[in-house]
Amino acid sequence: MTTTTHGRPAPTQNPASPLRESVRRTGARCAVLFLVATVSTGLSLALPLTLGRALDMLLTHPDGTGAMRWVLWCAGIVLLLAVLDAVETVLGGTTSAHATAWLRHRLTGHLLAVGPRAGERFGSGELVARLVGNAAQAGTAPASLAALLAALAGPVGAVVALGLLDPWLAAVFLAGAPLLALLLRTFTQDSSRCVADYQEAQGRIAGGLSEAIGGSRTIAACGTADREVARVLRPLPELTRAGHRMWHVQGRAAARAVALAPLLQLGVVAVAGVLLVRGRLTVGEMLAASRYAVLAAGVGVLVGQLSGLVRARASARRLGEVLAEPVTPYGSRRLPPGQGRLELRGVTARRGGRTLLDGVDLVVPGGSTLAVVGRSGAGKSLLAALAGRLADPDDGTVLLDGVPLPELDHDELRRAIGYAFERPALLGDTVADTIGFGVRAAPPDRIRAGAAAARADTFVRRLPDGYATPCRDAPLSGGERQRLGLARVLARDSRLLVLDDALSSLDTVTEHQVVDALLNHSPGGTRVIVAHRVSTAARADSVAWLDGGRVGAVGTHARLWRERGYREVFADGEG
Amino acid sequence: MPRHERARRQPAGSDGLRARGLRFLGQQRRVVARLVLWSVLETAQTFLMGYALARALDEGFLRGRTGVGLGWLGVAALAVAVGAYGTGRVYRAVAALVEPLRDRLVERVVARGVRQAEGGALSALTQQVEIARDTFAGVVMVSRSFVFTAAGALIGLASLAPPLLLVVVPPLVVGVGLFAASMRPLAHRQEAFLVADERLADRFGDVCTGLRDVTAGGAEEQVAADVGERVEAELRAARSLARWGIPRVASIAVGGQLPIVLLLLTAPWLLRSGVTPGALVGALAYVTQSLLPALQNLVHGMGTSGSRLAVVLRRLVPAGPAAVDGTGPDPRPDHTPERAPALTVSGLTFAYGPTCAPVVEGLTLSLPQGTRLAVVGPSGIGKSTLVSLTAGLLDPRHGTISLCGHPVPGDTAHAHRVVIPQEAYVFSGTFAENLGCLRPDPVPESELLAAAEAVGLAPLLARHGGPGGRVDPAALSAGERQLIALTRAWLSYACVALLDEATCHLDPEAEERAERAFASRAGTTLVVVAHRIASARRADRVLVMDGRQCAYGTHDELLERSSLYRDLVGSWSAAPSGPSQPALALRDTDGVDAVAGAGLAGDGRHVVAHGSVGEVQAAGYLRDGRPLRGE
Repeated sequence: MTTTTHGRPAPTQNPASPLRESVRRTGARCAVLFLVATVSTGLSLALPLTLGRALDMLLTHPDGTGAMRWVLWCAGIVLLLAVLDAVETVLGGTTSAHATAWLRHRLTGHLLAVGPRAGERFGSGELVARLVGNAAQAGTAPASLAALLAALAGPVGAVVALGLLDPWLAAVFLAGAPLLALLLRTFTQDSSRCVADYQEAQGRIAGGLSEAIGGSRTIAACGTADREVARVLRPLPELTRAGHRMWHVQGRAAARAVALAPLLQLGVVAVAGVLLVRGRLTVGEMLAASRYAVLAAGVGVLVGQLSGLVRARASARRLGEVLAEPVTPYGSRRLPPGQGRLELRGVTARRGGRTLLDGVDLVVPGGSTLAVVGRSGAGKSLLAALAGRLADPDDGTVLLDGVPLPELDHDELRRAIGYAFERPALLGDTVADTIGFGVRAAPPDRIRAGAAAARADTFVRRLPDGYATPCRDAPLSGGERQRLGLARVLARDSRLLVLDDALSSLDTVTEHQVVDALLNHSPGGTRVIVAHRVSTAARADSVAWLDGGRVGAVGTHARLWRERGYREVFADGEG
Repeated sequence: MPRHERARRQPAGSDGLRARGLRFLGQQRRVVARLVLWSVLETAQTFLMGYALARALDEGFLRGRTGVGLGWLGVAALAVAVGAYGTGRVYRAVAALVEPLRDRLVERVVARGVRQAEGGALSALTQQVEIARDTFAGVVMVSRSFVFTAAGALIGLASLAPPLLLVVVPPLVVGVGLFAASMRPLAHRQEAFLVADERLADRFGDVCTGLRDVTAGGAEEQVAADVGERVEAELRAARSLARWGIPRVASIAVGGQLPIVLLLLTAPWLLRSGVTPGALVGALAYVTQSLLPALQNLVHGMGTSGSRLAVVLRRLVPAGPAAVDGTGPDPRPDHTPERAPALTVSGLTFAYGPTCAPVVEGLTLSLPQGTRLAVVGPSGIGKSTLVSLTAGLLDPRHGTISLCGHPVPGDTAHAHRVVIPQEAYVFSGTFAENLGCLRPDPVPESELLAAAEAVGLAPLLARHGGPGGRVDPAALSAGERQLIALTRAWLSYACVALLDEATCHLDPEAEERAERAFASRAGTTLVVVAHRIASARRADRVLVMDGRQCAYGTHDELLERSSLYRDLVGSWSAAPSGPSQPALALRDTDGVDAVAGAGLAGDGRHVVAHGSVGEVQAAGYLRDGRPLRGE
């Protein structure tokens, strides 16, 4: 099978770790960031000692040039730190932004190259979560990695510096530090209960609100909005109580947390004071010790940074799962002239361990209309998906005018086959865009003609901006969405039209008119219509009756109607 | 209108948000006072941390008096403990400030959601309100902390040696000024980023739910280009935001770090003018341990939380007064002119917008009291619009409507009609609450039971333990919910019942029973948007809607006059009557009686199949649950 990707979102072949790749992509930035962060940490470790030395010199020889030299050193370090901080801020932000954008480009391209299978495998909500949240989180990884060593070196270096000033200083700090971790743990334990209470009350309000939104027409008609609002808001006092409790718990925890670092620092200063009296430390060194104690307490920040990195890695792994899904390859063949003869040869398809279609053989002569019927779960939609290569069979071949679908060129295949669905996704910014959506956008006159044929023209013209109305702003019923989806296929010429339950929400008169339009559309084309209604099946040239993963029978509706089992298909099709 | 458009057009702070914020704080004066009081403890802590250190050095350690030095440090430690207690209390005061704000936002969101049926209200409730709560608390905390810490440090500097103030205050003022000046452009960048991020997330949502349609249309390239454009737009916004980090760094450097250098540079002069070594160390401690961190928190906190808060509040509380409607359940209609028709429509024209094609044009009809009207026509033709017009929920462009002689819209007309839409509204509560909610006072149990019996709700009611039983809307079928809505309407005092496909989920027998219940209700006029041909056949009059032309008459008259009606009747009744007769005869007008024929579903008896009606796209919302870059 050949793989061509001319201009289409190019999927990379090796599913390497997205984390490693995003680091490589932002390599130069990361290297600079690493350098800046490391130098910056080194300088901030040097500053307290320099400051202390300057102070000592100032206290002993206030006007000596030695003191001035140390003061200038301090000034230089402070200035350099500010510059490096600025560089780090900008570079850190842009590096993450670039990595995130790159991951999103890559992921979108891959998803599109995989096709609907990706949606089935992960679920669309989950995919959005990965593209939005996980990509943003994974995008922070390169910058955090680059700054990790520096972040680690800060607190560790500060403790070492304390030890170098005097081992007692480090000892006091290290003895007090474990308390920090202990207190942070109690916080997480305490808060979870009132958070749960809070969310529970919030959920009840949301539940009531969602019921009321569903019944908005009743509420508006009856003028009982105030009463409804009051009812929905009934759990609000509980929400307030839980909210207050959350702040109390948080306040207690914060009180302990804010006390800890200054107390540690005071402990270090006290020891330094004693050492000062004994002449083992200078005033400047005491000042330095107090600064180092603060720097060393920054270990809490490091914990946060590390857990951020761990989360970023987990996010990257989730992105990797999506990228590991193989892309759908296309061939390069073109279609010979033909009327869209569709042939399924020994087609078997499994979903989740179940065989839904089992060795299906089916020929739809060019230019004819085939209705596909069967009980729900009989594999009708899957058959429709296979017919136009929205999915590939596990076994067997699907051919259009004699060419196996996987051998066809991408654009050739998609131009030749048109699809309409039960619940079409409305892509494109405006109603016109969503009708014209496809390999090449349909011209405006065809869009109008398609809409008219799908009986969508009337309601579209009633929208605030007609065809230019943004889809997001158009409140559409299921039937109206379906008609836009039908307009999409009726606005272009296809060799094969596949309608997957695309008429189910239309009233019967409209359905009749749309079927008329379909049968008269692109004369010479082939149509496959998954149908639930007798009236639709009756108008097809032939009907394929799916039962138990196989084609039970193919024949005209009139002939099949004699079979009891066939009639029963329609009995439970629609309630 | 997409809401981000609105958010983008209004520059930060120019829409009265600040004024409204100040008004809110004004109302919470006592809480603010409490907040100030507890914050003073933190000021005391800040003050003592530097002052005690200076004293410990000058009077203790530098004079070789270890005990005195340790004593002063002990005082500082005590101040830390007291300050920590203050911090705990500050959280409570902040809660007393934040929770009322959250309550108000929830109230507004719920009121707007209920009144305007905004799907976006749910995400506003669970996400945006929470963002507002957190960021508001953050803004209060950091700005308060900065003010009180700075006060403590400056008082401390003044009491150690007033000349120290000369060195520390000017750069601090410049730094804070620099930050204040960069706030607005920074907020713009932050907002631009949030908007770009939201637009991107929306597009991802479209693409991920529409992968099948993208593949089927072969539009991978266009979609990739389109998404790519938004990814790049978000990247540009993020980079611009990152660059605006420089003024932040600069303001911290000037306001917090420059004073350190200045203290050292001026040290010889300070020492000469009587500043003690301890005071110098204390001053350095004030700058490095109090002012610098407080300034850093202020700059980072306000830079991110502040602008997020502004964005989210502007969405949650758009300027302008909240709509007030809904006066509660209608009283019993007091006066009905004897001979007035139940419904009069004359020259009615309506369109959804000034440039849109009209849904109804020049409609005129009159319906006597006590009769039954069926409205039929293809889906989407405007039957529900007509019901809304009749109910006074929409204003006609031209023409007039009156109910029992009262003009629509109008309060007296309001009391005369009850509307039951297709999507029955049932809420979590008891049956009695659900059934009686259209009546101003509680409904006697006997009346509830009689109504349930008449409409056909009795078995369901009995199963759930009578009127006091609890209703769980999610556990009921669509048909059961419709029965509840119908019984509720039956119990109302209104004399015109507008049933807009209100029985579409009931089986034909249940539907007939419900319609019969309304028809036999004293003095009741029934308008039914018909779901089955049987409804039209039971009606005294039929209105056939077909785009702008409508036909009005009896069933028999319309069979003669209206080809669409013949079509509708044909398609409704064209069930195969036997195994050998497939349903091909959509235009067959003879088989009217075949409705109950083969009893097969899918035989075309349903005028409208019920897909997902009313799938309205939820408006975009500010997503959260993940850290924003730069936080």
